[in-house]
Amino acid sequence: MSTVTVTLVQVDGEVITIEDAPVGESLMEVARSRGVDGILGDCGGGCACATCHVYVDPAWEAKVGKPDDIEEMTLDMVSHVTRDNSRLSCQIKLAPELDGLRVNVAPAD
Amino acid sequence: MSTNNESARLDSCPVAGHEPSLASASLKDPELRAHPNEFYWTMRHRDPVHFDEGIGMWLVSRFEDLQAVFADPVVFSVEAGFKDSYAKGFFDEFKAILEAEGGGFFPDAIMTDPPEHTRVRKLMEQAFTAHRVKQLEPEITDVVSGLIDRFADQGHADGVSDFAVPMTIEIICAQLGIREFDPEKIQRWSLAVTAQISQMQDREAMVRNAKDICDLQNFLIAEIRKRQQTPQDDLLSDLIHARAEDEAENTLTFEEVVSLARALMIAGNETTATALGNLLYFLATRPEMQRELYEHIDDDRYTTRFVEELLRLEPPVRGLARTTTREVELGGVTLPAGAHMLLLYASANDDETVFECPRKFDMARKNIGRQMAFGGGVHRCVGLSLARMEVKVAAREFVRRLKDIRLDMPVEDVRYLPTVATRSIEHLPLTFSKR
Ligand code: HEM
Ligand code: FES
Repeated sequence: MSTVTVTLVQVDGEVITIEDAPVGESLMEVARSRGVDGILGDCGGGCACATCHVYVDPAWEAKVGKPDDIEEMTLDMVSHVTRDNSRLSCQIKLAPELDGLRVNVAPAD
Repeated sequence: MSTNNESARLDSCPVAGHEPSLASASLKDPELRAHPNEFYWTMRHRDPVHFDEGIGMWLVSRFEDLQAVFADPVVFSVEAGFKDSYAKGFFDEFKAILEAEGGGFFPDAIMTDPPEHTRVRKLMEQAFTAHRVKQLEPEITDVVSGLIDRFADQGHADGVSDFAVPMTIEIICAQLGIREFDPEKIQRWSLAVTAQISQMQDREAMVRNAKDICDLQNFLIAEIRKRQQTPQDDLLSDLIHARAEDEAENTLTFEEVVSLARALMIAGNETTATALGNLLYFLATRPEMQRELYEHIDDDRYTTRFVEELLRLEPPVRGLARTTTREVELGGVTLPAGAHMLLLYASANDDETVFECPRKFDMARKNIGRQMAFGGGVHRCVGLSLARMEVKVAAREFVRRLKDIRLDMPVEDVRYLPTVATRSIEHLPLTFSKR
């Protein structure tokens, strides 16, 4: 399978489903190219700007996994909006086992 | 107005009283550039998108208005105003000098607008991700330790010329793969390039700077030629030989490679050196912070936040330019097409609607990552992870090795470089003792 389906819920509640998200790309790249509100990706996936912050749906948390130390550090700088299920979507690489992934876009403030 | 009083007053919260008159104030004034926070405050509250007669630019001062600018990089263009603001007033002459003596005039391949910008930018982003920069930490620590060793026994040094400037030059040259260089020349070249966006250059200075930029370009062209045939394991070779999977030719033209090498060398130097100067000034004037930092020296979360809050409080880049490509409304003002703007990142970082008690150094801020020292949007600093790492390692190694760091001059004698673009300390004599 070379594409998967992912769903992002924007801060305004609108649900964006992307059915042909290429495996191997990051969730940030896919969401940004579809113009998902709130996924800016300023640093281009460098794990440094936190403008691609999402909350992973509880059903998907285990499969997506936890942030590494570097990602933790970047998330810590926006701790006014982080939760236990926070991830930077540029660090989520789409893979076949993530087919169906669902996340909520985190607000900037 | 004494500096000490100003910082004491602004450090208390909320900011009160005294408003400089906007009509007579201008960033042209060195005194105002040295102590600009009241001016920023007044603008944000009285005239957030304010026309500064002295430099002929619209100053954008509020956080939210800057966000609106970042959201539309085509209407608020980097490229459109280039000719008007670069080498201000002397563009054609400047260009002719570079063509005659500097191997060519190479327009900045990163000072463009989407979609061209997107293509070039992608290539640079891969070089400086947080994960790649993390691997450079030991190497950066070696450079910093080496520099501190040179003056640790002496008990005194200049924080700018003995530390900040040589440190950033060594690190960016190591990344580019340039092994032999004269740090003094590179420092001169950096100043010559940044002078082109400073709005403060007369004709004589322009000619002098243009010659320095010719030198810089000739130096880079020689380094690039060496790698065209035989790539090496360095950033310069990566830029030259970068190509996408479906491309038969290298992605970047020769002109683009020269311009990007120049941009990396300069953008990475002046700005980071300024940040390091600010760091040392901060430590030297706040002994309690030297102690606190020392107590947390191996706490990565602490040092990371320390650096971010320092960059928020004392952003090295005051502001950079944009030009409108059509009539547009911003912050209640209608700007005509072709309006030259200065995005005041420094004022956004001081915006009390986003950062409570903005003049206070407060590492516990939860939204610390919203600070705008690195700009925002598609032009957000590409070297931000490297910059953060450099400042973090410098902070850590300075207090690890030295104590009782003090300014060896009266605070009010600190001078800044004559430019609107950055707020950079010129000289910073320090005394200290070894731990
Ligand atoms: C503390 C140090 C630094 C600060 C405060 C800083 C600040 C900035 C800012 C504010 C911008 C935005 C420009 C705009 O809005 O037009 C920028 C862009 C840029 N910076 Fe930095 N910078 C720093 C260090 C570095 C380093 C170390 C490098 C290179 C390794 C670098 C390379 C660049 C480049 C190439 C751009 C242009 C990006 C673009 O237009 O897409 N900077 N920087
Ligand atoms: S895009 Fe910058 S952190 Fe993800």
